[in-house]
Amino acid sequence: MRGTLIFSGTSCPSLTKKICENLGMAPAEAELTQFSNGETSVRILTSVREKDVFVVQSGSPKINDTIMELLIMISACKGGSASKITAVLPYFPYSRQSKKKSHRGAITARMLANLLGVAGVKHVVTVDLHASQMQGFFKCPVDNLHAEPLIARWIRHNVPDWKEAVVVSKNAGGTKRVTSLADALKLNFGMVTTDKKRGPNMTASMIMNHLDGIERQPVLDPISNQVRTTSTETQNGSSEATNAQPQDSRTVADDQGSPRPVVNGTRSRSASNPKPIPTRSQTTLSQSSVIDEVDEETEGDGLEYNDQRAHEVIHGRLVEGHIVPDDFVSPAESVAGTEIPDEDPMVMSHASSFFAPQSHALGGSGDAAASSDEEEEILKPKVEHMITLVGDVKGRSVFIVDDMIDKPGSWIAAAETVAKRGSAKKVYCIATHGVFGGDCLEQMQACECIDTIVVTNSYPIPEEKARRASKLVVLDLSFLLAEAIRRNHYGESMSPLFQHVLDS
Amino acid sequence: MSAEMANEIKLISGRSHPELSDKIAKRLGIEVARTISLNYSNQETSFTVGESVRDEDVFIVQSTATGDVNEGLMELLIMISACRTASARRITAVIPNFPYARQDKKDKSRAPISARLVANMLQTAGANHIVTVDLHASQIQGFFSVPVDNLYAEPSFLRYIRENFNSEDCVIVSPDAGGAKRATSIADHLNTAFALIHKERPRPNVVGRMVLVGNVEDKVAILVDDMADTCGTLVKAAAVLKENGAKSVLALVTHGILSGNAIETLNGSVLSALVVTNTVPLGDKVQRCPKLRVIDISPTIAEAIRRTHNGESVSYLFTHAPV
Repeated sequence: MRGTLIFSGTSCPSLTKKICENLGMAPAEAELTQFSNGETSVRILTSVREKDVFVVQSGSPKINDTIMELLIMISACKGGSASKITAVLPYFPYSRQSKKKSHRGAITARMLANLLGVAGVKHVVTVDLHASQMQGFFKCPVDNLHAEPLIARWIRHNVPDWKEAVVVSKNAGGTKRVTSLADALKLNFGMVTTDKKRGPNMTASMIMNHLDGIERQPVLDPISNQVRTTSTETQNGSSEATNAQPQDSRTVADDQGSPRPVVNGTRSRSASNPKPIPTRSQTTLSQSSVIDEVDEETEGDGLEYNDQRAHEVIHGRLVEGHIVPDDFVSPAESVAGTEIPDEDPMVMSHASSFFAPQSHALGGSGDAAASSDEEEEILKPKVEHMITLVGDVKGRSVFIVDDMIDKPGSWIAAAETVAKRGSAKKVYCIATHGVFGGDCLEQMQACECIDTIVVTNSYPIPEEKARRASKLVVLDLSFLLAEAIRRNHYGESMSPLFQHVLDS
Repeated sequence: MSAEMANEIKLISGRSHPELSDKIAKRLGIEVARTISLNYSNQETSFTVGESVRDEDVFIVQSTATGDVNEGLMELLIMISACRTASARRITAVIPNFPYARQDKKDKSRAPISARLVANMLQTAGANHIVTVDLHASQIQGFFSVPVDNLYAEPSFLRYIRENFNSEDCVIVSPDAGGAKRATSIADHLNTAFALIHKERPRPNVVGRMVLVGNVEDKVAILVDDMADTCGTLVKAAAVLKENGAKSVLALVTHGILSGNAIETLNGSVLSALVVTNTVPLGDKVQRCPKLRVIDISPTIAEAIRRTHNGESVSYLFTHAPV
């Protein structure tokens, strides 16, 4: 393209090369090095005067270096009199820090948006922002492209029984993303949710129940009754009720569904069954209960899910990030009742100030992205959680979908839930950004419940690492990005890039 | 500090140089604020202030460790942003060694003026005031539209020279033409002779030919500069001074960045000592290099913080080093 230069940062030379191949041009030359003291050095080796400049930079393990390099490159191009500078960020760094989630935390994504503006960016092209509200952080236009059409196309071409498959969200916050893919493919969807509220207390009472199932009744039933009264009185206030009764949140959770006796037996079981907890923990596919209220609560943003899609509620116990049998003795047993469910000393110093309200919010306050950011931190060793699968996946292929794969914990937990508890046939973990922090990819590769991992090349994955992961499928985004660059340069509409191509 | 509760100094320390922050806090008689700073598994930095900074006078101390400049800079920006979001009244970034200070001009076609970029970034993040020490070029102050207090290590150096040498035996030497002003200022205060080494520098961090201007025969030659990075310049300059008959050669440098093979270069050089301030975290370099001496600059920084907070003049510190 005449008058266009595409520069590549050090994070993604191969993606840039592919983008340039799509456009029939070569990446512009720049020398990117570091001084011996660690400062980034940028030399733009070609004239950028009055050129339409695109700088492609993704994330990398040295993310802060990558950001500085991008900012200096932009600044250098601006200083070199480029007519317009567009930052192409397939993976937007710090996109998960897009809100003030605790007291006095930084909204780093907004700051980064401002920094890009200060450096001289006039336009930003990115893919699947963690929260689309982030577009508002910028003063310049933002094109937030979607990888979804690409993913949908891959599914249609590569999953033999995709028409019978179920799309599953692994947390309440990501449900919106999931429903979008489910709608595009006209598939059913489900949800896996990890319950923070069920702390060690629940474990203790449950183990106690297993040891002697008779003595428990006089202890638990008064509480159960009391809680039910509370939640019946305050119809929508069950999360408050949970806070009020932390000593047995498990019972509270049971009662969330029961005040509305839509299905026969649900209410009576929890009210009159002398062994409510063992029954519940052994819940299988045959025992369905109504989740309408739970569902509405976890969504909270007006999406309607009260159709027949989500019939099943399956519970499982999650210990140290893995599904365990119901009679598994939790390591948290010894400290049950005293411990705040987090041992990180850094967080502990704040436990009193923000941990408690946070767990309350998980009940489903409707903050779309909240749980997906924080859920990883909950999956700490020695803490037991209740994991719940909503929706029928038996004998079907399951697409577990989120916007990025960073830590393996929640993916493995969700995969084990749908595979072991839900009897899913095949499990596909699908995300746009394959960040794969630490040994995430290795762990997911080793998990026997995961059959395929699908990501795009928005975030560079080391070739060596990718080769060793036989389950990994990397979709190429370069055409999408190249098309976005071309349309930007010629001032054409972006809208076609958001549409699904029904070519199957 | 003051007894009243409202608007006190809140000293926040980044992870790059906690020792300096501790010393400053001790000097001010306060505690470093409790904070949480960590990296996610994808190396993104996350920061939370552990106590209220609402309506407080926040000072954020962040030096940038050698090799981790970008990490330290991003952390600083995030810290500033977090305090801004948490309704701090005023945020002062205390950056003893200003990062990217050497990339301060467009010396080649399309060279980035990264120092200006850093200045803009700090202001964008929400810094209201900058305190730094011995900026590579004072013009960097002009890159900011907020006040910048550029403190000098010179008073500390003067005291060090007076305490350790007879100033009549000394010659103050500038290792390059750019530092002549700094060297002459010290020479004037000590009433000593002054010399200059002219160097040709083909590329950054590479030293070319050197020519001595002035007389150093039978004198203690004291090289003065603002930063020692790979130490190639200093060591070559020291050799030139020795060749020209200097009795001994030492170097006084504000920022001991000491990257690459600096320590090995120093150990094998004719320099009798390299005196640096603790603006940059030195780690185990003091153990690895017996020639390295450290002057504590924290009293000057602490006093600047105190005076800034109380609205007093900082000028005194340009000529005097608090003990």
